[in-house]
Amino acid sequence: MSAQYFLAVAPASGVPIYRQLVDQIRARVAGGHLSAGDYLPSVRQVAEHLQINPMTVSKAYSLLERDGVVELVRGQGMLVKDPGAAANGKSRRHALLPLLQQVAEQARHLSLTPEQVIAELKPLLENQP
Amino acid sequence: MSQPQDIALRMEAVSKRYDHKRVLDELSLDVPTGSVLGLLGKNGQGKTTLLKCALGLVRPDSGVLTVLHEPANDLSAAAKARIGYVPQEITLYPWMRAAQLIDYMSAFYPNWNSALVSKLMSEWELNPQDRVGKMSVGTRQKLAIILALAHEPDLLMLDEPAASLDPLARREFLKAVLSVAADGARTVVFSTHITSDLERVANRVAILRDGKIVFDGEMDELKDSIKRLHVSSSRALPLALDVPGAVRVKVDGNEALMSVRNVSEQMLDDLRRQHDASVRVEDLNLEDIFLEVQHAGSR
Repeated sequence: MSAQYFLAVAPASGVPIYRQLVDQIRARVAGGHLSAGDYLPSVRQVAEHLQINPMTVSKAYSLLERDGVVELVRGQGMLVKDPGAAANGKSRRHALLPLLQQVAEQARHLSLTPEQVIAELKPLLENQP
Repeated sequence: MSQPQDIALRMEAVSKRYDHKRVLDELSLDVPTGSVLGLLGKNGQGKTTLLKCALGLVRPDSGVLTVLHEPANDLSAAAKARIGYVPQEITLYPWMRAAQLIDYMSAFYPNWNSALVSKLMSEWELNPQDRVGKMSVGTRQKLAIILALAHEPDLLMLDEPAASLDPLARREFLKAVLSVAADGARTVVFSTHITSDLERVANRVAILRDGKIVFDGEMDELKDSIKRLHVSSSRALPLALDVPGAVRVKVDGNEALMSVRNVSEQMLDDLRRQHDASVRVEDLNLEDIFLEVQHAGSR
């Protein structure tokens, strides 16, 4: 059973608590801190530790289950699944999205076309720092 | 997660007036069994009246109220024994000591959890020998909460329960509410104007304004659905700027602030295209949302 202490929530944030939990657990899995075969802490443990409604934790867990990050093992808890190459690539791409949205926003401010933005981005990606 | 749910409390078109003031105005609300509902509203918006009507303590002028499948104004003794209530003004018997009051109250209820009472009494640092009349407001509120939890009610109604509690006691109180909520079969309704009390424990929120429920739904859904858009255009924006689901809009020259329900990518794209604007989307916490909803209509 994995410790629940890596989880932290900001209840007064605009991001719903269940989404904060999902994001943190996804990040732990993508970063290799939680690996296949690990169990997530129980709903009860997390709810007590963070002093939040257990239903919120259940909701986060069922979303993670639906997305194939974990699977429910009866009587045992939520088992972290092998992310696999494809899922891993997808989750890494997902992590880039907020930054790209900012880029797109700024590009619109500057009235740059998509082609111009991509032309600027390409050499940055291809050149090693 | 969304199987058809049992309803612990149902209010249908409930109206109540005091003299000339319409306090509840054809108000409708369903509270599903197992939920922790935060009832949010400014002072004087009818929160207390709503709770009192739901308990059958105040008879509404019209409308239908059903509590634990029984009519609110004609609750059976069995149903009453399944309800816990902490009113805003607590009038316990001032001459009694806490321990005597607990003894006295326990006689009314078939399932009285003495272990829970002792546990909370010591956790919340209440002295059983103290006289109720000599207690501070906060201490009396703690005692009233303990008495309401002691018979393990299926429906717990709390009117501004944390109002007189210090931050530590408030945390302890929220913990107690969570322990009630933990089994998923019991329902909690609590009114407050302090949004931070709700964010941890409530899974549903109902916002009361001018005697009506202006929002009712899951806390997460509310946070996911209402966003504030910062719109900035290269030209002056129309004063009557409008989008579907707008709650509140403020336009100032080339810039606009709008809080909007059910924001979609499509809607953002339309906004950007129509007004040659950039749009930044901001997440709102419950307090922000509450303020936006309170100010809606005063646009």
